[in-house]
Amino acid sequence: MSAAKVRVLVLALGALVPRLSAQPFPPPIASYQITCRLDPEKKTLDANEVLTWKNNTSRPAPTLRLHLYLNAFRNTLSTFWRESGGEARDGKLPDSWGSIEITRMTGPDGADLLPAMRFISPDDGNPDDRTVAEVILPRPVAPGETISVALDFAARLPRVSVRTGYKDDFFMVVQWFPKVGVLQESGWNCHQFHAWSEFFSDFGNYDVSIDVPARYKGKVGATGQRVEERETSAGRVLYRFRQDGVHDFAWTADPSYVVLEDTFREAGLGDVRLFLYLQPEHGAQAARYFGAVKAALSGYGRVLGAYPYPTLSIVDPPWGARAAGGMEYPTLITGGTPWSAPKSILRPEAVTVHEAGHQFFYGLLASNEFEEAWLDEGFNTYMTDRVLRATYGSNRVDLDVFGLHFPLGIEIHYPLDANRRYFEVATWDVLATPSWKFRSRVSYGANVYSKTALTLATLERLLGTPTMDRALRLYADRWRFQHPTTRDFMAAVNDATGADWTWFFDRTFFSSGVVDYAVAEAKTTPAKPPRGLFERDGKLVPDPPAALAKARGWDSTVLVVNRGDVALPVDVVLRFENGHVYRSRWDGAGRWKRFRVSAGPKLLEALVDPDEKILLDADRTNNGLRPEEDADLRAATRWTARAVFWVQNMIDFMTVAW
Amino acid sequence: MPRALACFLRGLGKSLSKPYLAVALWLMQLLIAAVLILPIGNALHALLDRSPSGEKMVAVPDYGWWETVRRTHPDVLGNFPEFATGLLSPEGIKWSEIPGMRGVGATAFGLALLAIVLHAFALGGTLGTLREPSASLVTFGREGMRYMPAFLLFTFPAWGLAFAAYQWIYVGSGEALRLRVRELHTEQAALAVTALRLAATLVALAAIKLLADAVRTVWVARPDLPPVSRFLFGIGGAFARPLRLLGILGLYAVTTAGLYAIWLVADPSAGGEARFALVPLILTQQLFVFARLLIKIGYYAGVSEALTRAPSPEYSYVAGAAPAAEAPEAPTVP
Repeated sequence: MSAAKVRVLVLALGALVPRLSAQPFPPPIASYQITCRLDPEKKTLDANEVLTWKNNTSRPAPTLRLHLYLNAFRNTLSTFWRESGGEARDGKLPDSWGSIEITRMTGPDGADLLPAMRFISPDDGNPDDRTVAEVILPRPVAPGETISVALDFAARLPRVSVRTGYKDDFFMVVQWFPKVGVLQESGWNCHQFHAWSEFFSDFGNYDVSIDVPARYKGKVGATGQRVEERETSAGRVLYRFRQDGVHDFAWTADPSYVVLEDTFREAGLGDVRLFLYLQPEHGAQAARYFGAVKAALSGYGRVLGAYPYPTLSIVDPPWGARAAGGMEYPTLITGGTPWSAPKSILRPEAVTVHEAGHQFFYGLLASNEFEEAWLDEGFNTYMTDRVLRATYGSNRVDLDVFGLHFPLGIEIHYPLDANRRYFEVATWDVLATPSWKFRSRVSYGANVYSKTALTLATLERLLGTPTMDRALRLYADRWRFQHPTTRDFMAAVNDATGADWTWFFDRTFFSSGVVDYAVAEAKTTPAKPPRGLFERDGKLVPDPPAALAKARGWDSTVLVVNRGDVALPVDVVLRFENGHVYRSRWDGAGRWKRFRVSAGPKLLEALVDPDEKILLDADRTNNGLRPEEDADLRAATRWTARAVFWVQNMIDFMTVAW
Repeated sequence: MPRALACFLRGLGKSLSKPYLAVALWLMQLLIAAVLILPIGNALHALLDRSPSGEKMVAVPDYGWWETVRRTHPDVLGNFPEFATGLLSPEGIKWSEIPGMRGVGATAFGLALLAIVLHAFALGGTLGTLREPSASLVTFGREGMRYMPAFLLFTFPAWGLAFAAYQWIYVGSGEALRLRVRELHTEQAALAVTALRLAATLVALAAIKLLADAVRTVWVARPDLPPVSRFLFGIGGAFARPLRLLGILGLYAVTTAGLYAIWLVADPSAGGEARFALVPLILTQQLFVFARLLIKIGYYAGVSEALTRAPSPEYSYVAGAAPAAEAPEAPTVP
């Protein structure tokens, strides 16, 4: 065999080796081997699971704690129901119940662990919540020791209303299996299922077999790579998916799916096979989905490092199951789009970029979504805004006309306009608050997503984009496949900049204070000669010296105030006639700062934060002022005319029918 | 349809031949709307005149500016935008939003209700004037006052019926079908359901309008009959020529929609000062309103043509005029 042939053979064999084995994935802590059987009529799953878990701490573990998330939908007494008040993102929760029951659990030596299992509620003490179970082990698991636990469980899926469940033949099966919590040095971190929080778990290897009726053949998508497809008993088909180095597993099935495939390819970022599970009525939007995912993998990858998995699946939920959309799981995301989606309204794009971005903030940087949700949602929103702005420019205001969507001629700019909901509730909560302790869902969303995004965008503008990217990359490299915290990000910023930025995070992440700078006063008047008594030849005379007698130029005064509670360094610019510009930086200390210019050129306008660096400024309409005599009446007059015109039309419309 | 078209065109001709009617309606609407000029104008001038943001706002509404003003000045609009956009939503208007309306938004809503009342006067004046061979603005005022009490009696029940039709047919069906619509297989099916609900509502509203317009037209056309007979004649007239009346209403709707389409395409407000300076812009706006009113009067004249072409047998306030049986347009040859 020639050397060339040997080389070809080696390359071919190399190509056959599953790519996932070549990836530098971390040593597994919590791995799962699951086999499940779906009954689409009863909406149930029967499954068995082998959990292989390693005690990665320095202390023995006498117990195991398991998440049983589906029990959040068990009845109205669960913590999830109580906190949500029966309301979800898309309206009232349906009376459709879900549950998960462990029917068998044996330890490494075959001991029956089921009698030693009890439900606990570490967050709120709710005795009726069944979303966390604790198992007392026959003997503690020593530090560094690995054990295996075998379980049988039966799951009932609810009508999809919050991420998981079914609608007709569509199934989005997520948070569906008994999942071990995260053991930290301080003990178990295993929170209950809350109304507005997400998840937290350890990395591991997943090997999951899914047995579905034959009508689902070719229409099953899941975390990881499909390694097997075979027909089992009459009329059924089994799919097997495997993925190493992930911390959750989700799958979906729908006979209606149109399954499309594409490849993301970019030098330095590797190849990723993309699978799109699309609803037929959204067929025209396939390219938009793929385009958005590619934009995300490229935009995030360049800043945070390459996406390390060989596949990424995008699920497009059907009508009536939008609650399954807009969610992230390792190597699988759910999007969502209306049937009428004009291109200028970024309906599939924005959510797709965001969820694909979660592969980084959540997937790889697996922060605790219960306790520090801003580290995934907020950081991801910040990066989403960057990618959307770079790829698509701006979004448009969407007018919903009886369910059809039309773009208005009003642009929504990233990141500021896209995150304005923060300003509505700016003082309600400190950003750094555990998810379930926010005042409301609105405050959770506004702070965790929007305030974080605006804070990071402000930081980027203060540091400069290259420095910000260095800080992000340092954070991503240090904490890839780990569980970073806010302090870890702050350390990365400090290390990347060589300066201590703790003060910035204290005033933003750890504060509910509002930023609001304003120009309160801007005056310019012709300079006048001084009056009074002046010394001349040793005497006091009423005439000023000749040098002062002839006044020249203008006297200008500008008063900049801090109407908010938080001080951030801000630029102040005074623009004068003939192109003269005075630029100064105010540290924001104190409530106000006055700027005086004597005998200078005529002041045209005064601006605070002219470059829009402080995006947390709650009211930018007061960030500039012209002198009284330079008032420009055009905008107000034109809008008054428009308003009167609209009222005339409204009156005419109101008098049409009667 | 040809008859409906003929009636509508004749109506438009009458409207054009008596432009002072459109002028009168335009003035009424302008004066009602003018109540808001000061509060809106003063607020906008205070916010924009000295602000560098004003520069960006001349041509295009700046999303950030509007969001900030809505948030920092909740008394200006309140939740009027939500209420207004509710009209276009699959769920329909949420009446519970009305208590949340404040400031300019609430005033605009109140003025629109006032306009409904004044509409009774304007419609009486319009229909009365259309039927007199030699009429003027004086006739408009006189006839408006003459028919206002009766027309108010028709206007309020018609308004109530229209409200009930919207609430019971559109909003009610939306609430009743909400869960079922969510269970439909596709969004297109859900849109079709919304379209059916909307069509049913529009048919009901059209029926109410045509009945009310027929009664009012006959009320003016046949003062010789007792009130009950006039009312029944009006109802009968609507039932006798439903397609013709519906055709006229359809032509009116299509023509008006066409006018709006032209406005949207031309977009005279766009481009800041590039397309129209302030005064030409205001003139264009008012010309649009005037054209819309000409079409509106054309519609009423068309309905009048469809139901009764003969002039009123009684010109009670016109000196020397006798009840005429012949067509008033017929020239008198000496």
